[in-house]
Amino acid sequence: MSEKLRTLGVAYLNARPLWESLKDDPRIALELARPSELARALAENEADIGLLPVAAAATLGNLRLVRNVAIGARGKVRSVAIVSERPLHELDSIALDLSSRTSVVLARLLLSRRKLAPHLFGAEPAEAVAAVKGSTGALVIGDAALNVESRFDHRLDLAEDWLEWTGLPFVFAAWFARPGALSTEQEDIFRVAKQKGIARVSAIASEHAARTGLAEASLISYLTQSIRYDLGDEELRGLVRFWDEGARLGLLARASVDVDEPKLARPRPSLDTVLSRAADGERLSAADGQRLLREGTFFELGLAADAVRRRKHPDGVVTYIVDRNVNYTNVCTTSCRFCAFYRPVGHAEGYVLSREVLGQKLQEVVDAGGVQILLQGGLNPDLRIEWYEDLFRWMKKEYGLGLHALSPEEILHLARLEKLSVKRVLERLHEAGLDSVPGGGAEILVDRVRRKIAKAKCTSEEWLGVMRVAHAMGLRSSATMMYGTVDTLEERIQHLLKIRDLQDETSGFTAFFCWDYQFEKGTHLAPGENGTHLYLRTQAVARLMLDNVAHVGASWVTQGPGVGQVALRFGADDFGSVMFEENVVSSAGTTFGINAEKIEERIRATGFRSVRRNVRYEWLSEPK
Amino acid sequence: MSESPKLALIRAKVESFERLTFDDGMALFMEPDLLSVGQLANEVRETRHGDRTFFNKNMRIEVTNVCVASCLFCSFAKLEEHMPGAHTMKLEEAWHELEKRMDDPGGPPTEVHVVNGLHPGLPFSYYEELLRGFKRIDPNVHLKCFTAVEIHFFARHYGLSYAVVLERLRAAGLESLPGGGAEIFDEGVRSKISHDKATAAEYLEVHRVAHRMGMRTNATMLYGHIETFAHRVDHILRLRALQDETKGLQAFIPLAFHPDGNGMKNMPAPTAVDDLRTIAVSRLLLDNVDHIKAYWVSLTPDVAQIALRFGADDIDGTIVHETIYKAAGTLSPGALGYEELVRLIREAGRIPVERDTLYNVVRELPRAAVPEAALKPRDRERARPKLPMFQVPPSPLVAHADEVTS
Repeated sequence: MSEKLRTLGVAYLNARPLWESLKDDPRIALELARPSELARALAENEADIGLLPVAAAATLGNLRLVRNVAIGARGKVRSVAIVSERPLHELDSIALDLSSRTSVVLARLLLSRRKLAPHLFGAEPAEAVAAVKGSTGALVIGDAALNVESRFDHRLDLAEDWLEWTGLPFVFAAWFARPGALSTEQEDIFRVAKQKGIARVSAIASEHAARTGLAEASLISYLTQSIRYDLGDEELRGLVRFWDEGARLGLLARASVDVDEPKLARPRPSLDTVLSRAADGERLSAADGQRLLREGTFFELGLAADAVRRRKHPDGVVTYIVDRNVNYTNVCTTSCRFCAFYRPVGHAEGYVLSREVLGQKLQEVVDAGGVQILLQGGLNPDLRIEWYEDLFRWMKKEYGLGLHALSPEEILHLARLEKLSVKRVLERLHEAGLDSVPGGGAEILVDRVRRKIAKAKCTSEEWLGVMRVAHAMGLRSSATMMYGTVDTLEERIQHLLKIRDLQDETSGFTAFFCWDYQFEKGTHLAPGENGTHLYLRTQAVARLMLDNVAHVGASWVTQGPGVGQVALRFGADDFGSVMFEENVVSSAGTTFGINAEKIEERIRATGFRSVRRNVRYEWLSEPK
Repeated sequence: MSESPKLALIRAKVESFERLTFDDGMALFMEPDLLSVGQLANEVRETRHGDRTFFNKNMRIEVTNVCVASCLFCSFAKLEEHMPGAHTMKLEEAWHELEKRMDDPGGPPTEVHVVNGLHPGLPFSYYEELLRGFKRIDPNVHLKCFTAVEIHFFARHYGLSYAVVLERLRAAGLESLPGGGAEIFDEGVRSKISHDKATAAEYLEVHRVAHRMGMRTNATMLYGHIETFAHRVDHILRLRALQDETKGLQAFIPLAFHPDGNGMKNMPAPTAVDDLRTIAVSRLLLDNVDHIKAYWVSLTPDVAQIALRFGADDIDGTIVHETIYKAAGTLSPGALGYEELVRLIREAGRIPVERDTLYNVVRELPRAAVPEAALKPRDRERARPKLPMFQVPPSPLVAHADEVTS
């Protein structure tokens, strides 16, 4: 290969020896990234190889692992620890620095081994340390951990505890490559770089000491004594053991590693194995998901998803909500190619609904026994945040309906328009009455796709960022996926993984809905071959991948009520909403309208009991 | 995902090609695990036909909606000629419908499918002339006309035997009979929903006579009204018995009752799960009938796609002029183009096969490029590695792509 290997390193001190000499290597195009970003880049084929945390490697699945190079520890690692004022078994809660998922999983394993179940919550690194008091501890990582090495009475060094438990070293990260991306000779580049880096450890330590104020001698000892850069048989066994333990608790996908070590390399599991693991609720890797979507047959996927649905909702109840989708304005500045609804600013057909029209719509919802309004619209630069605040207050006061309003795109638009942070915008809207955030506009959370179909829309990271902030404030939201434009199968799985990852962090998603791109004249994307089979298969795979999302909803508005019913046997446990109107999808040619009675009829005909719910999926009556 | 004991027994029977009983049929209708019933029917379907899925270019025409029968489920027929909405085509009008189709981009229809009301005032020669006219326009077009109920009506009305009616129509160009008018055979149900037309015995006798003359026919069942599952199983088994005797049935077509604008408008329409289950049970019970048809007009194209996994191997045709279901409020469009039918079949991961009325293959089309159709990334920028021109793409190409991307 003549092209440079797209290589991603991590800026952490302990990683530096592994990539430093690659900076000037003509065969390598090196960039530094955050660990979470690095997994994304590998998954989305923006990088060939990366210094990937091992938890992320399990999530992707089927990567090539470079032998003899890793960041690990045998015994005390010093930079990953649970610190507290009281002994571990007296802790009620632990703040987790979420910047290393591998460490979080390790912490959970070690707690579970001790049969301890303190409340765990995510925090920024500085907040985590600050949270330590009384019966609250913190998982601290990296410089933050080194900084407080002797500050607290109690400190559990996670690598040391791991060794005590398993008798094995712990591996935090290693070089993982996309399958087929590098040759055996190219692997040597990374082994040689490691030798060069280790030779420069003192210089690296003193630079870091100068920058951070940490003691140089301590850092040298950290890099030479605590951290081990080898990946021999023992380390590999430790790595595989970690993956297995993580899979056993449902924290990690069961990784199959491609490595030059016959005893440890695992054959790719059969499709049947993947399916039965999936049906049993095990965590699946990206590679597993791709195989299911590509090779799983219609009934296999349906039955496996149905099994998961049954385990998560053993009462045989399917929920639905009576709400109304109100599109308060069709004026929009983004010009998405799949949208037939929007009108540009100044267009004669542009509208903003008046209070009078809105009031009438809301009254109809109240009269029909509805419980909420789904309020979404275009990005209209004439509508300022005060307009929304007034509107929300008025709606709450006059009608008392739940407000499921403003997708992340609209929140971001307001933040830009008002030069406020997303957090501030959400706080103000929350105060004015916002109850939950709809998951629309997610489309496919891979920027390559978003750039093509909705150039002006937010990036994947921005979309997820709004949800992260909203969830942290206690707002719930749904998650959606619109597939079938220019997206590949891999990108659909990547989308699901991003939702699953954020859900691991926040638990803020209540439900997942998907549908295919609805072609109509007026949109600027060609119709694809999607169809109801692909819909059902996709929904089933989503149910199998999203092991941490409670509900999956059938999108009968786009697929038709008949297919919606079948979807209840393909993993869905919710029949969405009784729709009064849904301008965006219906202006793209899909119009199905059925009332609550008919929805209940259809749910029952499928063999379930039906019940109305609110936005938090709480039942509003006894199921019937 | 363990199977119920009853279903396991049925599975064992199906796998050893043992005939299913009335009780088996009932058990399949009552089985809570819809997908397992579908999966079993799918296995039978794939054993018989693999992925091949049949469709044709047909033209549906109803020349009169004047009808002496008063079926409760019908939103189409108007009792008498002078009533508003009643219409009887002049022969030239009917023929013109075919003439208009002769230059269709996909080729003219290969079949004309005529179903009518039971009109008391037309001479028999009207029907004979109707057929002759179609043949004059296109001698190759297959004429699948008049349900057994109409044949029975002709026999009574014109004082002829079934054989003579069929012979005369055959002389005029008739080649096969559509399956309509079967409704539900059970006498109790039939007397309530369609008391004044051919009885079950008469319906079956018309088919028997036609089969003995060497004609092929289809059969239907109208379900989802006042009948029970037992009536459905009984209906299907009566057809199975006829088929044992004559081997003349080509396809069975379960038809869902649609409640708009007829005497049963207060009833809920059958839902997709019932439609799919009925198709699956039909496939499993009718071990001697080749084809099970998912009639998209009744099911909606969306559900018809799913039906292709629940035992159906035929999705009917391009239709164009359907007015009977339209009158009863189906959500389906009135016509699907050739390309649309092909797309529906491909999206279901099946191989589209254009057939003529007698299931001779007109054209077998390639399946979608990758199994399970639309899963192929349609992004041209991510093209797979290019192969030299002379090299036939080897099958491991897919495996290779898998390695690269997974």
